Amino acid sequence: MEKKTAEGQVIVVTSGKGGVGKTTTVANVASSLARLGHKVVVMDLDIGLKKLDLILGLENRVIYDIVQVIEGECTLKQALVKDKRFPELYMLPAAQTRNKDDITPEQVKQLCSELKKDFDYIFIDCPAGIEQGFRNAIAAADRAIVVTNPEVSAVRDADRIIGMLESANFKDIKLVVNRIRNDMVKSGDMLSIEDLMEHLCIDLLGVVPEDQSVVVSTNRGEPIILNDQSRASTAFNNIAHRTLGEQVEFPTFEDMSLWTRIKNMFSSR
Amino acid sequence: MLDFLKKVFNAEDKTSKGQANNRLRLVLTHDRLGTSGLVMEAMKEEIIQVIAKHMEIDGLPEVKIITEGRHAAMDISIPLKGR
Repeated sequence: MEKKTAEGQVIVVTSGKGGVGKTTTVANVASSLARLGHKVVVMDLDIGLKKLDLILGLENRVIYDIVQVIEGECTLKQALVKDKRFPELYMLPAAQTRNKDDITPEQVKQLCSELKKDFDYIFIDCPAGIEQGFRNAIAAADRAIVVTNPEVSAVRDADRIIGMLESANFKDIKLVVNRIRNDMVKSGDMLSIEDLMEHLCIDLLGVVPEDQSVVVSTNRGEPIILNDQSRASTAFNNIAHRTLGEQVEFPTFEDMSLWTRIKNMFSSR
Repeated sequence: MLDFLKKVFNAEDKTSKGQANNRLRLVLTHDRLGTSGLVMEAMKEEIIQVIAKHMEIDGLPEVKIITEGRHAAMDISIPLKGR
């Protein structure tokens, strides 16, 4: 199938802190967009600590990696791994035995400008941290998605990353809150979406509930969006639609805090 | 009005969520300004001392950081004694 847009968009998924769900977000939002018929490529820039191939269940199909492409050992087309479940989804794997300093922001820009010709969306899986790997990952990006968890250390790191993205002149920075538990928010033992918005002051792109089925899908190497029963699946599909610029309602009324409900009552008048 | 009520309630919030919010408010303000609570305290003292050297302070001086979105400003309020 042909790509849908004239010029591809590069979206970096980042967080500062590790383990908050960057790779899971990349894998599922990208799969969801590919299922909707967009041509999508996911680029793993966590060189030395790659995970995206494993999360997508494509680990046995990797032949070449991004460093080999940059060093001219193979062509970009040879290194792209095609996902058989989603005909429009491709992955550019990271190198496992190299490190972040082996590539430069300029080289990532060059690769992305090549990929923009053939793809509608290029998702970059950014490594944790704020060093070279982060600089490589944001160099070519038009938009940024910051993933965080409702937990103080993840929020602090997200705030630092947002500050760095703003310094790098990013205009489109959106937030995904992963692993939220409404029961704990209600009992006063977990930061709510409203709290996170107050602290981080950026637009919300998605809210993904804590969901055991994520572990099951990850064990199997299947994207969660293939499991229609899962609540996380719905959340990732919603993020894909919002990424396209569509308006999708946020969680149901009873999941909202008292303040949001009161605010909504006033604003709907 | 809603914001005001929210602040009043938050100030009373003894839940772990409330504590997390209060700790985050402070630490994010300091992170963004590249400073710490201790430095802020020292600076506050210095600012008051500079004023006191030239004028007579009448009442309780206040030096605090106020935030608006991701931006911050220093709010200094020092009551002065007139002749």
